[in-house]
Amino acid sequence: MERASLRGMGLFGILAGALLSWAIWDGSPYGPRVVATAGTYALLILGYHFIFGQAGALSLAQGTFFGLGAYVTAVCATRWGLGFEITFPLAILLPSAVAMLVAGSVLRLASHYFALATLGIAQVALLIATSWQDVTGGATGLSGLPGIVLFGMAVPRGWPLAAFVWGLVGLGVLLADRIAGGVRRLAYETLREDPNAAAASGIGGARLRFLAFALSAAYGGAAGALHAHTVRVVSAQVLDFGMMITCLAMAVIGGRKRIAGALIGATLLVLLPEGLRFLADYSMLIYGVALLVTIVAAPDGIAGLLGERAPAFLPQAAPPPPKPAKGGLDLRDISKRFGGVIALDGVTLGLRPGEILGLIGPNGSGKTTLVNIATGFERADRGKVGFAGETLSSRPPDDIARRGIARTFQTPALVPGMNVLDTVAVAGGSSHPEIHHSRILARAAECLERMGIGTVAATSCGDLPPGAQRSVEIARALALDPSVLLLDEPAAGLNETEQSELGARLRVLAARGLAILVVEHNMPFLLGLADRVICLDRGRIIAEGTAAAIQEDPKVIAAYFGTEP
Amino acid sequence: MNRLLALAAVLSVAAGFQHAKAQDVTIPVLVPLTGFLSLEGTSQRNGAALALAAPPAGVKARAEVVDVGVAPEAAVNALEKAAGQKPLAVVASMLGAQVLAMLPVAQEQKLPLLTISGTAQVTSGNPYVFRFFLSDDVIKIPVVRYLTADLAKRRPAIIYQTTSYGQGGHASLVANLARRGITPAYEEGIDVAAKDLLPSITKAMAANPDVLIIHLHAGPTALFVKQAAQARITVPIMAGSAMSQPATAALVEPRDLKGVCTESTALPALGVSPAMDDFVNRYRKAYGGDPDAYALAQYDGTMMALAAVKAGAKTAEEMRAALSRMSYEGAAMTYKSDGKGNMAHSAAILCYDGTSRTPKLAKRFDAIDSPP
Amino acid sequence: MAQLLLNGLALGAAYALVALGFVLVLNATGAVNFAQGDMVVAGGYAAVAFAGLLPDMPGILLLPLVLALMAGLGLLFSALAYFPLKRRPPTAVFISTIAGGIILQNGITALFGSAPRSAPLLLGEGGFQGQGFLADRQTLAILGVAALLILGQHFLLSRTQLGRQLRATAQDRDMAQALGVPVNRMIALTFALGAALAGAAGLLLANRFFVTPTSGGDLMLKAYIAVAIGGWGSLPGAVLGALLIALFEVLIAGWISYTVASVALYGALLVILFLRPQGLLGEAAQRRA
Repeated sequence: MERASLRGMGLFGILAGALLSWAIWDGSPYGPRVVATAGTYALLILGYHFIFGQAGALSLAQGTFFGLGAYVTAVCATRWGLGFEITFPLAILLPSAVAMLVAGSVLRLASHYFALATLGIAQVALLIATSWQDVTGGATGLSGLPGIVLFGMAVPRGWPLAAFVWGLVGLGVLLADRIAGGVRRLAYETLREDPNAAAASGIGGARLRFLAFALSAAYGGAAGALHAHTVRVVSAQVLDFGMMITCLAMAVIGGRKRIAGALIGATLLVLLPEGLRFLADYSMLIYGVALLVTIVAAPDGIAGLLGERAPAFLPQAAPPPPKPAKGGLDLRDISKRFGGVIALDGVTLGLRPGEILGLIGPNGSGKTTLVNIATGFERADRGKVGFAGETLSSRPPDDIARRGIARTFQTPALVPGMNVLDTVAVAGGSSHPEIHHSRILARAAECLERMGIGTVAATSCGDLPPGAQRSVEIARALALDPSVLLLDEPAAGLNETEQSELGARLRVLAARGLAILVVEHNMPFLLGLADRVICLDRGRIIAEGTAAAIQEDPKVIAAYFGTEP
Repeated sequence: MNRLLALAAVLSVAAGFQHAKAQDVTIPVLVPLTGFLSLEGTSQRNGAALALAAPPAGVKARAEVVDVGVAPEAAVNALEKAAGQKPLAVVASMLGAQVLAMLPVAQEQKLPLLTISGTAQVTSGNPYVFRFFLSDDVIKIPVVRYLTADLAKRRPAIIYQTTSYGQGGHASLVANLARRGITPAYEEGIDVAAKDLLPSITKAMAANPDVLIIHLHAGPTALFVKQAAQARITVPIMAGSAMSQPATAALVEPRDLKGVCTESTALPALGVSPAMDDFVNRYRKAYGGDPDAYALAQYDGTMMALAAVKAGAKTAEEMRAALSRMSYEGAAMTYKSDGKGNMAHSAAILCYDGTSRTPKLAKRFDAIDSPP
Repeated sequence: MAQLLLNGLALGAAYALVALGFVLVLNATGAVNFAQGDMVVAGGYAAVAFAGLLPDMPGILLLPLVLALMAGLGLLFSALAYFPLKRRPPTAVFISTIAGGIILQNGITALFGSAPRSAPLLLGEGGFQGQGFLADRQTLAILGVAALLILGQHFLLSRTQLGRQLRATAQDRDMAQALGVPVNRMIALTFALGAALAGAAGLLLANRFFVTPTSGGDLMLKAYIAVAIGGWGSLPGAVLGALLIALFEVLIAGWISYTVASVALYGALLVILFLRPQGLLGEAAQRRA
């Protein structure tokens, strides 16, 4: 766990310590009950963090997964008398299955439509629960649930139950940290903030969102099961929109980006209404005021008050394992139209390992479109993208990136708030999920060294000058261990010294066997760098040759200066 | 600054937990004062508070009112908290799911619950629950008897709310009608949030019923009666207990109420008995409005518990024993347990004549049998 | 059938006002106002309160009072729940509006109690009796008032200088600011306008269907769905969506049942989202969230 997370956990520790000492001092069964209730919601919000915090999608179905888990538990326990060892896995499985079933349809919707679709699903679930009286007991629900009985052993109520619940919360925290901590958390942050940066880092957005949604449902179901056993009644109230509102409030008040936020939010918003109940008619009024004051005081959640992430520590740079280049890039007869405009018209182009190819052409000649098509960000209407003997034409960009065709953008696609080392590590993590976090950081540091930006590792990308941002993008591309590197105007914004430094670094990379395509306007830069230069005009290749020869080519001059040949 | 505000929020919560330790006889009142059942919950609170404010001579009582919203979890937590003060009894929410959730805790803590929930399952074998209202499966016995025997109706249409209250009433109606060999001509469940009720009225009338039985909450009951009057429906309406709440009748014109009857445990109005007059007068004085049957029932139930204290109950266990044995002459009726904690055994059919918002007693049923 | 259609239209007209207020605030701030339903309830109770102070006044004369009071409430709401969080993540505004809604709902309970209440008729009783159906004065008045408010709102936005400034703010806040539009004032005004429209809906609904402090949640859901069906951020879309929802609700309920109508509404919603994710009339909201 990182330092900032530890600070969050420290804050939660203080809160939990205060709660525990009060509960023990109070001495009545109320204490452990409140502690257990807080644990149940903590598990629910831990789950909600996956989809809402990490994936950044406003799901309004988290309460529904909670309710489903509760109903599964209630039905299995009251009807068939099944023990916790069977009902608990079922309560996790069913909501997860529902989530995976609908994920395909709902996850491709944009933000508020996703919210609304999940809300629709939630409302239908509520209607089913109230109408299907034979199974669910209707609005009154199912009562008479036993306590938790695990392999024939009952978990006594009071402190043992509270400890049991928090034991599961602890497991949930460890699991969440493992699944969505470290480099995966950075991957989610990249996905949330800039989908292009994510794709270029080899992050499969669809997969990550699917994982987040399924996990949120699994945690929700687990929390629902615990809720059913602690309250011993499951009514339609668990599926009500009010439950979802509570869930949302807990996530936001606690802070939706840190695990500690889930624990803090859940504990605080369980305690708040409990502490206000004695106000009778005014309890909810004061609750609303307290909620408003808290969110105004801590808009990023209470865990967010702890400040931004601590700067990354600089790991010892470690060289990557030698990896033979898989081969060059082979573009055949690529055509692409946007409406009535022809962007590319039958472009065929080969790029060999170890070669640096310059691609020039006036604005709108199709250079960037060609890079987009080669990297899967756009789909060609016709033609074939070949790489290492395979056809990549219909693969998603993140997959192509992981296979070894890396790119940079004309306008750098970076997450402004993320530091340089993390930005590069995200790409390293996506292409090598098997490697331990510390190794990934070490290799990311190596990529920074290779681009000469090791000194800014701890700086936020947004604080860097444009030239350095371009170097970060190249370092990120290198972290993918690519065979092919496609650079979109890498020298823009660099002074002459920096340009020559960059050129030298690129030649070193090419000498190691990388195939490099450089899209540039800057002929002096290409002159000393490119082995070969191709000129595009209106979607066609009009000239090819050495940089010096191209510069003299009348067709190229005509294309740039607008005289018709 | 921001951190200070957040700290203040945390501290204010902590302060809440410091609240209150008991003296005298404490009967905590754990009822829904917020959320969709707050109207009924407030009646419950008012009735209980009125009783606790004027206990029998020699008994000192203190009301501690706690809002439990509508979540079962909140009710259970509040009960565990209240149990810490070792009260003699607890006034428990009338919301079915909440009181069902409180039952096992009451048994573990050995705490008698005084409730007016109609949900049938509440009194199914737990010795610590005492219900001062008619159970859903009992309250429909006189309704069905009145409709079939007195009014000779054979084709009822039933429209109910898809809530605990409505579904319980519906199930009980269907069962009691079936015992007389009658199948409803039409049945439909309506969500509380449903706005226009004309669709339902139209469909029900298309089934050619001879009576419309509705079992809806206060607002929808008034809306149904109003829209039925607008649609010139002349078929009589038998409404659920929500109709007898003064808040319901206040929403409609008296003339719209012609032909409307309702079920209740008793009519909380002046001139019935001295005890009832006393209750009604004190209620009006304290709350500035007319009481409903829920307030009356919870008043009687709380008074019965206080009478048990006067009779010598000093512990919760003695309270349980007293409530399960004694017979109590309340303002509404005589309460005595049937062995399962059902204390109320009388019902009244009240009808409106179209000139006022106060119903008249049409028929009284005493000693209603528990269903087989 | 004709009666059901008329009732559905009247209900839809009221829903349309709710949805319009919702979408105006959405466009101006990029944030979902979860308290919009509670604003409607507040409008209903404002009408109840004014009717208590001014007995025997027809509802139509109370309307300006309700509009003014609710506009004030909208300003207050924006000052407490929106402006402190203006440059903060939209999720923070979610929670502040949820909190604002809770305060409104429970403040109303504290002031008025939780019994359902009824507001006065707009123009008194009576009406036009047709073949098997009654076009009562209240229904026609609801349709008329809603239509006037919707047209008035349209006129304000499209034909006046103030409206142009409001629209500029909704289209691109930063650009509007650069052009010298007093953006904060415009946003506050939008909250006032949204609250006033909600208040009008509250007055219309509170006579016909009564009002309770807790009835806001459902109205909020309806507005949300109407706005999504009509196209996120589109004003005509919100009106269309609201009418469709109400007609759906009344006609399907009249044809089959309420439960089926609800399930079908959400089912249709999901189908629309999957087939036409940009809504029926296309999107218009600025993407800030």
